[in-house]
Amino acid sequence: MSAPSPGTESFILLLTQHQEALFRYIFSLLANEADARDALQETSLALYRKHGEYDPSRPFLPWACRFAYRQVQKHREKAARSPLLFSEDVIDLLARDRERLEPELDRRIQLLDGCLAKLTPQDKELVTSRYGQRQGAEEMMGRFAMSRRTLFRNLERVRQRLHACVTRQLQSEGLS
Amino acid sequence: MNLESLIHAKLEGEITPEQHEQLEALLRDDWQARRLYLELADQHARLLQQAAVNTGRLKQPSVISRTVRWRTSALLASAAAIVLLAFIVWPRAAVDNEAISNGVAMLSDTLDAEFAENAVRSGDTIAPGILTLNKGLAKIEFFSGATVLIEGATQIEVISAWEARCVSGRVRVHVPPAAKGFLMDAPGMKLEDLGTEFALNVTGKDSAVHVFEGEVIAHTKEKPPASLKEGMTLGQTDAGFLPIGDVHDLVRQRQERRHAEWQKWSQERCEDPRLVAYYTFKHWPDDRWDRLVKSYAIPPQKQRAGGAVGAKWTQGRWPGKDALEFKRPGDRLRLNLDGSYTALTLSAWVKVDSVDKKYNSLLLTDGYDNGEPHWQIYEDGSLMFSIIYRPDGITRGGDWNQIYFSKPVFGPDSLGRWHHIAVSYDNQSGQVIQYFDGAEVSREVSKLHQAGRPISYGPCELGNWGLPTQGHPFPIRNLNGAIDEFAIYAAVLSGAEIQSIFENGNPK
Repeated sequence: MSAPSPGTESFILLLTQHQEALFRYIFSLLANEADARDALQETSLALYRKHGEYDPSRPFLPWACRFAYRQVQKHREKAARSPLLFSEDVIDLLARDRERLEPELDRRIQLLDGCLAKLTPQDKELVTSRYGQRQGAEEMMGRFAMSRRTLFRNLERVRQRLHACVTRQLQSEGLS
Repeated sequence: MNLESLIHAKLEGEITPEQHEQLEALLRDDWQARRLYLELADQHARLLQQAAVNTGRLKQPSVISRTVRWRTSALLASAAAIVLLAFIVWPRAAVDNEAISNGVAMLSDTLDAEFAENAVRSGDTIAPGILTLNKGLAKIEFFSGATVLIEGATQIEVISAWEARCVSGRVRVHVPPAAKGFLMDAPGMKLEDLGTEFALNVTGKDSAVHVFEGEVIAHTKEKPPASLKEGMTLGQTDAGFLPIGDVHDLVRQRQERRHAEWQKWSQERCEDPRLVAYYTFKHWPDDRWDRLVKSYAIPPQKQRAGGAVGAKWTQGRWPGKDALEFKRPGDRLRLNLDGSYTALTLSAWVKVDSVDKKYNSLLLTDGYDNGEPHWQIYEDGSLMFSIIYRPDGITRGGDWNQIYFSKPVFGPDSLGRWHHIAVSYDNQSGQVIQYFDGAEVSREVSKLHQAGRPISYGPCELGNWGLPTQGHPFPIRNLNGAIDEFAIYAAVLSGAEIQSIFENGNPK
């Protein structure tokens, strides 16, 4: 057993630093958590295999996203008949828009923390239950005594609030 | 289902194949829709990534330890460890906390404009991308200071604050000295503007340019850069160059027409017997105290006239239409509405400049006694209607407040513009419906509702909360914005009626 070379170690660090961003990238194209996690694993493997090709003088994320994009395509081909996957042209448009919007999307993620803190206690509980505790719809319906429709409407409302809050903060920080 | 709901359904995996098709069509056609989708998908992904939200705060990204040791060289195991590591450490936070925007221009004025990108509205910030005007006129002000007027079937690509490309159609460009060097690309040429005004017509692969003032350098592939001076034309075109002079006249004429149409409609509306009060915010120059806001409901009820406190007169939806502006913590419009009612509809035209307080007042009664309605904008930009009925013998405390929230409606896209908002409530069904620009944004019955309890106002005010109940600290709740029409009805107006109020009063 030997330790990885220094180059490998710094590459792993890079990869780790960008896992979250890569997950967001993949998730936005597949919009399904399990699929996105699979594709992220595959992407990590592919990146690891090709890490010798990475030029450290260039930004990591755009390079890594190309691999992620290929994994998304592969996943699409495997499940091509599912009507609930985005068509290739839509994925392509989203991937391209995302590249352009990346700085803004990044900033939004940073602002999200502050907005979560501002939620009402009820909304916080919803978020914790859905995302923190990973409770399923049935479980949440029981816990909050809500119909399925009301539950999803309320989750939509909370996410909409978070989104509006982040947008407002972006706006109030002033446009550069 | 609207775009937002479709996106949320998609993220939750609750979408039907038909809805999915609908969502795809919207995303395919409209980059603003894609942007919203990406923003919401990212937010969802971030929340999914984070296990510990119980505190209400996401864990701050931590600095990655450099002492991580790898004890295996097996490729698969390492890769699995990478993935595992991803869930225990977080990427470094960006050091730069300054807000960023990719806006490079804004759409300042439009006249009967129809864009292929249907979400584009006057006042919007424009990010780099294609803008397709199907008809009408639109003025784009680039952050560099250059102004571009586009007309009719015109497609332009906004590249940066300093560059745009005309794909087809007619444009007119004005470049003040500060924006000298602004580039306008066209098929076969790049026009560098040296502080001037010029027009450009593009048909297919042919471009023609005419300089009205100053100097333009035309860069073409075939020839060395050519200087075009005032009055010179390069290229051939059948269409005339876009004139600028009458645009401002056209805008003014349209505003006058819309104002007159609304006035006529408003006069008929005064006679609606369901009105409790109808304030059109007509400023009387001969009112020596300058504070009177009459109710125009017929028959006249003089006692229901309002008195402005602090709030200043300002321009409403059109030039010549007055409004009251609420800015300072003391600004308000005092009212005293007699009577007891079984239903209500509140309908208002407001321009909200900022949702900067926890509660931002629309109409609130003094204090908060049984049967008194309160209508506010909550801090997240949602409309918030509430009415309270405490059981006999209880005068404060307890959870008797029936609160109804809409989805957030006031955000960056809606602030600083005139919008119509409405709420209706009926004391039999208990149903509260709220509207934004004629469309329903919430419909709900509170669990606390009991049929038949009366509604009353008494002393109340618009734009602030006058006399909070004793024992409360004095919260500041003044509206930051302006109101130019407010109607109070003693009945529930139908969705179609609200829609008609919106259409007849829409400034555009």
